[in-house]
Amino acid sequence: MPVTEKNILTRLYIVAGLLFLFAMAVLVKLVSIQMVEGDKYRKLAMDRTEKMFTIAPKRGNLYSDDGSLLATSVSRYTIRFDAETVGKKDFEENVKPLSDALAKLFGKTTSHYQQLLRKAKANKNRYALVARNLDYSDYIAVKQFPLFNKGPYKGGLIIEQKIVREHPLGKIAERSVGYERVDENGYYTRVGLEGAFGEYLRGIEGKRLKQKIAKGQWKPIGWDNIVEPQDGYDVVSTIDINIQDIAHHALLGQLEKYNAEHGCVIVMETETGEIKAISNLGRTTDGKYYERLNYAIGESHEPGSTFKLMSMVVALEDKVIDTNTVIDTEKGNYKVYNRTVRDSKHGGYGKITAAKAFEVSSNTAFAKIINNNYKENPEKFVNRLMNMNLHRELGLPVKGEGTPVIRYPGDKGWSGVSLAWMSHGYEVSLTPLQTLTFYNAIANDGEMLKPRLIKEVKEWDKTILKFEKEVINPSICSKETAHKVQQLLKNVVEKKHGTGHGLYSPNFSMAGKTGTTQKNYVSKDPEVMKYISTFAGYFPADDPKYSCIVVIHEPDKSVGYYGADVSGPVFKSVAQKIYASSPLVDEVDVHDAETKNLDEEFQRYFAASNKKYNEVPNVEGMSGMDAVSILENLGIEVEVKGNGKVKKQSIAKGTDLKKVNKIVLELS
Amino acid sequence: MLGFLNKMNGDKAIWAVVALLALFSFLPVYSASSNLVYVVGNGTTIGYLVKHAILLLMGFGIIYGVHRIPTHFFKGLSLIAMPVVLLLLLYTLAQGQVIDGANASRWIRIPIVGFTFQTSNLAAVVLMIYVARYLTKIKDKTITFKESILPLWLPVFLVIVLILPANFSTAGIIFSMVLLLCFIGGYPFKYLLGIVGAGILCLTIFILTAKAVPDLFPNRVDTWMSRIESFSNPEDTEADYQIEKAKIAIATGGIVGNGAGKSVMKNFLPQSSSDFIYAIIVEEYGLLGGFVLMFFYLLLLFRIVVVANSNGTVFGKLLVLGVGLPIVFQALINMAVAVELFPVTGQTLPLISSGGTSSWMTCLAIGIILSASNKHAQSEPEEIDETNPLEVLSGQL
Repeated sequence: MPVTEKNILTRLYIVAGLLFLFAMAVLVKLVSIQMVEGDKYRKLAMDRTEKMFTIAPKRGNLYSDDGSLLATSVSRYTIRFDAETVGKKDFEENVKPLSDALAKLFGKTTSHYQQLLRKAKANKNRYALVARNLDYSDYIAVKQFPLFNKGPYKGGLIIEQKIVREHPLGKIAERSVGYERVDENGYYTRVGLEGAFGEYLRGIEGKRLKQKIAKGQWKPIGWDNIVEPQDGYDVVSTIDINIQDIAHHALLGQLEKYNAEHGCVIVMETETGEIKAISNLGRTTDGKYYERLNYAIGESHEPGSTFKLMSMVVALEDKVIDTNTVIDTEKGNYKVYNRTVRDSKHGGYGKITAAKAFEVSSNTAFAKIINNNYKENPEKFVNRLMNMNLHRELGLPVKGEGTPVIRYPGDKGWSGVSLAWMSHGYEVSLTPLQTLTFYNAIANDGEMLKPRLIKEVKEWDKTILKFEKEVINPSICSKETAHKVQQLLKNVVEKKHGTGHGLYSPNFSMAGKTGTTQKNYVSKDPEVMKYISTFAGYFPADDPKYSCIVVIHEPDKSVGYYGADVSGPVFKSVAQKIYASSPLVDEVDVHDAETKNLDEEFQRYFAASNKKYNEVPNVEGMSGMDAVSILENLGIEVEVKGNGKVKKQSIAKGTDLKKVNKIVLELS
Repeated sequence: MLGFLNKMNGDKAIWAVVALLALFSFLPVYSASSNLVYVVGNGTTIGYLVKHAILLLMGFGIIYGVHRIPTHFFKGLSLIAMPVVLLLLLYTLAQGQVIDGANASRWIRIPIVGFTFQTSNLAAVVLMIYVARYLTKIKDKTITFKESILPLWLPVFLVIVLILPANFSTAGIIFSMVLLLCFIGGYPFKYLLGIVGAGILCLTIFILTAKAVPDLFPNRVDTWMSRIESFSNPEDTEADYQIEKAKIAIATGGIVGNGAGKSVMKNFLPQSSSDFIYAIIVEEYGLLGGFVLMFFYLLLLFRIVVVANSNGTVFGKLLVLGVGLPIVFQALINMAVAVELFPVTGQTLPLISSGGTSSWMTCLAIGIILSASNKHAQSEPEEIDETNPLEVLSGQL
C-alpha cells in the first residue's frame, strides 16, 4: 500500500484530534479539582500548612524595694554534639583543638573532652551532652570553637536554648522569691513572690500565624503578629536586700549553733506593713540549711508565750485587770480541772503584779487571770480575740498561708481547760506572720496593717500600679491599752527580771516578748520533748520603725531552748544591724549632753570664722584649735602655749589687723 | 542584529510560541528555586535563574543552528547518530546512578560543562528521525513484517530496552510515539498490533524477571508498581503525598491564582520545578494561567500540523510529526499527572521545566521542525553535491 500525502494527513488529523481531546480532558479535570474538590483541598491546605504559634512574652523582673534585682529571666544554652553528621576527616582534624578549647573554657582536662567526643563518635551518638546551662557569652564562645564553627550539619553542633529565672541573690530569700511553673493543662504552681505576682510578671502571649515550608520549618505569614506579645511588668517588692541579708545570716548562724530543725525571720516596717525581709531556713538531710518551705507564711503552730500579749490586751481592754493587779502565782502550779498549768520557774514567782507576770512570762498568772475572769463567759474572751482579727487569714497574695485556729466555745476541741491554755498560747494556732501582724499593730498604737510584699508594678520607668498601706483593723484596742502593753514589752527587755533582758543593750531600745512553746506535749517523756523558740517584738521601743519575729523550731535542748536564748539573739542581731545602718538611729545615738556642747561650740566657731574681720577678734574662751584656725586665716602668725581653751590672747581684741604680725595665745 | 533576525527562517508562530514559553518559564523556575535554596539548602535563587537563562540561551543556539540544516540531511545524520546513541545509552545504564536504592541511571555528566545529560531524550529524537527516514524509504513498497524487523524494529527495540530499566515512562512514551509515527506513516496496522503485543509480552517478562530475581540487574520495577498502585488505589497511600499536594496547589490557586512566587505547595512538592510545575503554575496564576499555558501547547500542536501539512516531502512531514508530537504529548502527560489523570511519571513540562539538558533536546526537535517549515531548506536539491558526504548519504537513503 503506497503511502500518499493525503492518507498521512488523514491519519495525522485523527492523532491531532485525539491529542486535543486529551488536552480538553486535562482542562476539565483541572476545573473539576478546583470546583468540585476545591473546598476539601483548600481546607487541607490550611490544616497542613498553617499553624498558630504562640510567642512567649518576656517575664518581668522582680526587684527589691531599692531596685536591686531579685529575679530576672535570662537565656541559658545547652550544647550537644551530633557525632554522626560530622565527617571522619573533620572530626579527626578538630577533635584535639576542640577539646583544648572546651577544656580551657570549662576548666576540665583536654582528655576528658577528647574522650567524651571520641566515645560519642564511636557510639554514633547523635545527642551527646557537652555542656549544660551556659550563659550567652560562653555560648557564643563555644559556637566559635573548631569543628563547632562549621555549624549544625558539618560541625555536629546542637544548641538548645531555654529561658531560666535567675536569682542574683542566690540562696538568700530563694523561697520567698519563689517561682511559678505552668503545666500543660495551664495550671500554675505558684510559690513565693514570683507566684504571688505572676499575673503582673507573666505578660501576655503573642500569636503568630506561620506557614510550613518544610519538615519542621515554619515561615511567618504577613508583617504583623496576630496578637503582639506583651512583656510582663516589673514588680518592685518591699523586700530590702540589706535587711534580708542580715536576717538570713543571723538566722542561719543561730540555726547552726542550735542545730535546729528549721526557723524563720520576718521583718516588717511598722508604719506601712511592708515586709522588708522574710527568711525561711530548713535543715536538709546533710545538715545544711536552705530556703525550703515558706514557714513564715505557711506554718501555723501554737504560739506559746508570745500569745500572752493577746491575752493581756483582752484583759486590759475588758478592764478585768490592770497592770498593777496582783496575782498569786501559787508556787508555780495552777490546777484547772484535772490539769495543771506550770511555770517554767520551779516554785513560781510568788505574788506579783500582772505587769511583772507578763515580763517574767508566768503561765500560772495568765491562766489564772483569763480563767478566773472569763470562765463564766468564755465567749467574751474569744470574741475579743476575734475582734482583733486573730482568727482570720491575712489574705496574702502569696499562696499557702496557714490557717489560724482560735476555737469558739462549743467548737470541737473546746473544753473546760481551754481558756487557761489559750491564755498562754496553747490550743490556738497562728503563723509567725499572723503573730507579727498583731505585734506590729501594738507597735502602731492599735492600727493593724496588712503585711505587704509588693510596692509597685512598673513597665520600664512607668508606674502601672502603686500599692499603699492596707489597714485590716484601724483599732484593735484602745490607745491606752496599746501604750500599757508597749511599756510591758519594753520592760521584758529592759527590766532585769524580764525574760528578754539578756538582749538588753544600753545603746538602743527594743521591745518584745519571748516564747518557748512545747511542741509535742502529748507525750510526757521529757526526752522527746521538742520546743519552738520565739521572739516577737519591735524596735526602737519608743518610736517603733520595724517589727520582727523570729521563730526557731526544735533547737537542740542540750544547747538551749528558751525563746530568749535561741531566737532572741537573732532579733537583737537584726535590730542592731538595722540600727547601725539606719541614719535616723545614728542621730538618736549621738544625742547626749556632751555632743550638745560640741555642737554649740561648732556653731560659735562657724559664726566667728564666717565673719569678715578688720581687727583682731576676741578668741578668748574658744578652743585652741578654733582660735588658731581663725587667726591664721587672717594672716597672723600664732604661737600657742598649753592645751585647752584660750585663756589669754597677747594682742587685745579690736587692734587693727594691719599692725599685727604675731599673736601669742595662752591656753588653759 | 537585523541580519541575524533575517536568517531566522521557518514558521514564525512556532518561533513566537517557543519564545513566549521560554520567557514565561523564568517565573515558575524562579519561584520554585526558593524551595531548593531555603529548604533543600542548595545554591542561591539568582544562581538558579542564571543557570536557567544559560540553558535557555544555549537551547536557543541549538534551535538556531539546527533550523538552518537542510531537512533532508537529517536522514543521514540519524543513521550516523544511531550507533552513537546506543553506545551512550549503554554507558548511561552501566554507570548505574542509584536514587533511593532504585536504579535511576538516566543521566551522564558532560565532562567539561558540568551539566548532566539525560541520554534518553537524545535517543528519542534520533530514533524518531530514524523511524521517519525508514517510513519514507518504504513509502511506495508493500513490505512484509520480516523485512522491517532488522532496519526498523531492531533499533527501536534496542533503544527501548536500554532505557526501560531506568526510565519506564520515557521508554513507554518513546514506544508509543514510534507506534504513532508508524501508524501515521502508513506502516501496516496489523503488524503494529503484533508489535504492541510483543512489546507487552516483553515488558511482562521483564517485570516478572525483576520481581523473581531482584538482584539480577538494577531496575525500578518496585517504583513503577507502587506508583501505579497508588494511582489506582482509592485509599491514601504514602505515594499519594505528591499528588495530594499537587491537588491542594491547584485548589488554592483559584481563578487568577495567588500571584507570582506566592505558591505554598512548592515547598512540599519535591519536584516542584519539573514534574509538578503545572500544579505550581495553576497555584500561582490560577485557572487562567493553566488555560493559557495549555493554549500555547495546543497552538504548537496546531502549528506542527500546519508545518507537516505544508511540507512537500513525505520525509519532511513524518520528520516534523516524529519530533513535534512527542513534545506536545509530553506536555500533556505532565499536565495530566498534575491533575491526576495519569500516574506519576517524572516527565518534565517541555520548554517550561528547569529540566536542564532535556530542554536542549526539545530545542533540537523545535529546530528540526523549523528547518522543515523553512521553504528554502525543504526542497531536495536537483543534483547531489558529490563533495558533501552527508548530502551523498542523505540522498541515497
